[in-house]
Amino acid sequence: MAASGQSQAMFFRARAGEKVRDEVLQRALQKARPLFVGKRAKGMASLVEDGLDFDALRSTGKNARNRILADLDVWLDIFETRATANGAEVLWARDGAEVSRLVVDIARRHGVTKATKSKSMLSEEADLNAALSAAGVQPVETDLGEYIVQLAGEPPSHIIAPAVHKTIGEVEALFAKAHDRPAQARTSADIPAMAAEARGVLRQHFLSAEMGISGANFLIAETGSAALVTNEGNGRMVTTLPRIHVVITGIEKLLPTLEDFASLMRLLPRSATGQSISNYVSLLTGTRHQGDGEGPEKTIFILVDNGRADLLGSPYEAMLRCIRCGACMNHCPVYFSLGGHAYGWVYPGPMGSVLTPLLTGIDQAIDLPRATTGCGHCADVCPVGIPLPGLMHQLRETQAETGLRPRSEARAMRLWAWLARRPRLYRWLTRCATRYLDWLSDGQGRIRLFGLAPAWTAGRDLPVSSGQTFHELYKARKRA
Amino acid sequence: MRVALYVTCLVDLMRPSVGFAALRLLEAAGCDVVVPPDQTCCGQPAWSSGYRAQAAGLARKAIAELEGYDYVVIPSGSCTDQLRHVYPRLLADDPAWSARAQAVAERCHELTSFLADVVALPTPPGEFAGSVTYHDSCKGLRALGIKRQPRELLQRVRGLSLREMADCEECCGFGGAFAVEFADVSTRIVDRKCETIAAAGADAVVGGDLGCLLNIEGRLRRRGDETTRVLHVAEVLAGGEGN
Repeated sequence: MAASGQSQAMFFRARAGEKVRDEVLQRALQKARPLFVGKRAKGMASLVEDGLDFDALRSTGKNARNRILADLDVWLDIFETRATANGAEVLWARDGAEVSRLVVDIARRHGVTKATKSKSMLSEEADLNAALSAAGVQPVETDLGEYIVQLAGEPPSHIIAPAVHKTIGEVEALFAKAHDRPAQARTSADIPAMAAEARGVLRQHFLSAEMGISGANFLIAETGSAALVTNEGNGRMVTTLPRIHVVITGIEKLLPTLEDFASLMRLLPRSATGQSISNYVSLLTGTRHQGDGEGPEKTIFILVDNGRADLLGSPYEAMLRCIRCGACMNHCPVYFSLGGHAYGWVYPGPMGSVLTPLLTGIDQAIDLPRATTGCGHCADVCPVGIPLPGLMHQLRETQAETGLRPRSEARAMRLWAWLARRPRLYRWLTRCATRYLDWLSDGQGRIRLFGLAPAWTAGRDLPVSSGQTFHELYKARKRA
Repeated sequence: MRVALYVTCLVDLMRPSVGFAALRLLEAAGCDVVVPPDQTCCGQPAWSSGYRAQAAGLARKAIAELEGYDYVVIPSGSCTDQLRHVYPRLLADDPAWSARAQAVAERCHELTSFLADVVALPTPPGEFAGSVTYHDSCKGLRALGIKRQPRELLQRVRGLSLREMADCEECCGFGGAFAVEFADVSTRIVDRKCETIAAAGADAVVGGDLGCLLNIEGRLRRRGDETTRVLHVAEVLAGGEGN
């Protein structure tokens, strides 16, 4: 399976244990959570003000994405034809390693020593920065959040807010070190000044880089364009100033028409940041034409499979509708207890818990589809109606059916189900169990340490009742 | 109106008073209540963990026991979701069972929605001197759309005042096996719930799913809160103590 080499998802449980105990991280997350939730709520309110209906828009968005997935090969063909006609080049990559190889090749051919990057999760799938550095090309992340995590030597922890796990104090320490100045005490009032400081540093990179690398929020088949939805303006610098612009994106990111793009744009910013539209929306079509004041001399699309084509026609196809807005993680109780790094690969939260096993191997991410309370909030807020809890459930079934669960668990489940189909035996056992629980309790109706499920009582008491089952009491009462 | 009361395995084992409270409420609403004697568990633990065959076996058992009533009423949103939404899907390809699963599913109701919407119980028999805050359990809220019903009923309980907590729709972190498999994550989540409960300052936190309530009560007590009562909505609506 693709790209599983760099995934750390199999260590989820251990990492989650560390993250819930990291008080600095917890502070950062608790601060961010209500902001994300509040912003989307405002975005939804603005839909109503504009006379739009979320459910209707969601079904339009879902249909546009489904239309692409139903004939993906045809749409990709159309995109390639149109993009090529506009003077761009279209390359195909089977997996992350091939992405890195292609980009390094391009850099070598064009004598590139520095590449500015606008946020691209696909380049994280490919671990592209490592490959560029190894080839002597300096990758510079220019999204503010990405810049911060690059300074920290960390991967992003959120797909739209890469440094959401960092406190302002941590960012200040990174800036002081990287920008070679003494650290100061900072409050949130200093954020504009700190952003300006980063902007000053990045400006030099924008002007000197020979290559710009970006992702694309969507590819538009009818025009052969890449659509970029950003807030900081760095995307425009990256895609217009350097001689070469490389767009790296997944093969599923297509939309048929500009009209579909308009529909999706009603959903994406509102779901992500609550904005009715992002600060910048760019449609990048082809290369610099004669008379154009700016734009790259060469535009290259790298369209990446990395496991996606295998999902077409599978029970997981709906996952390919994802437009990477981050709403699912922003409303996930598990994500906001851990942050993104615990998930171990590029994509965290509910969409990551589905995508990581699918793209890196179901056996490489056993815990992820289980690390859910089943609350269903993610499915409620998903702008393209992906049944995320259902897909996680499907993955758990596949685990059980393909022997990926511990044999002890499978045996216990079979035994319990066998007992639960035998009411007389079950009644007798539950009567014994209530006696046992009663005997364990401290006289105040609770158990403080429960040997059969010690994990429960590690953080909680176990409230218990009278020492008799309902059915036992009910039978006695009917007899009386 | 013949109503089957499906008490759930958790109520049977951990808090029988909820079953008796549900029984009193249904009788107060004029139902002819039967407690099918062989009921055990709806199979949700097997289903959630991915053990489909075991879940289907328990689904068939429950369907056979619950057929032939006008309604099936369950004091739990998550078990109701299992019978109402999961059973028909689980047995969709089984020609002998799919229609039976559908028929039972259609007659299945969570307790508060049954009392508020189906039988329109005017005044719950319970009394409660004090304030309560209501926790919306996830399955009831998002799978069944239960939000207004428990509040409507609670507000009609003599002496009771309802005091909403912030983020009442946020998950408590229970999630069945999740609470044991990822206990430390679950504890983090329920801590947030405990904080919003404390901030609401009500005398009791009330909910419609015993799993969530055991989780919340267990964490409140461990954090040293000995006074906030944790009650199933049926217990408050029915009044009276214990059995």
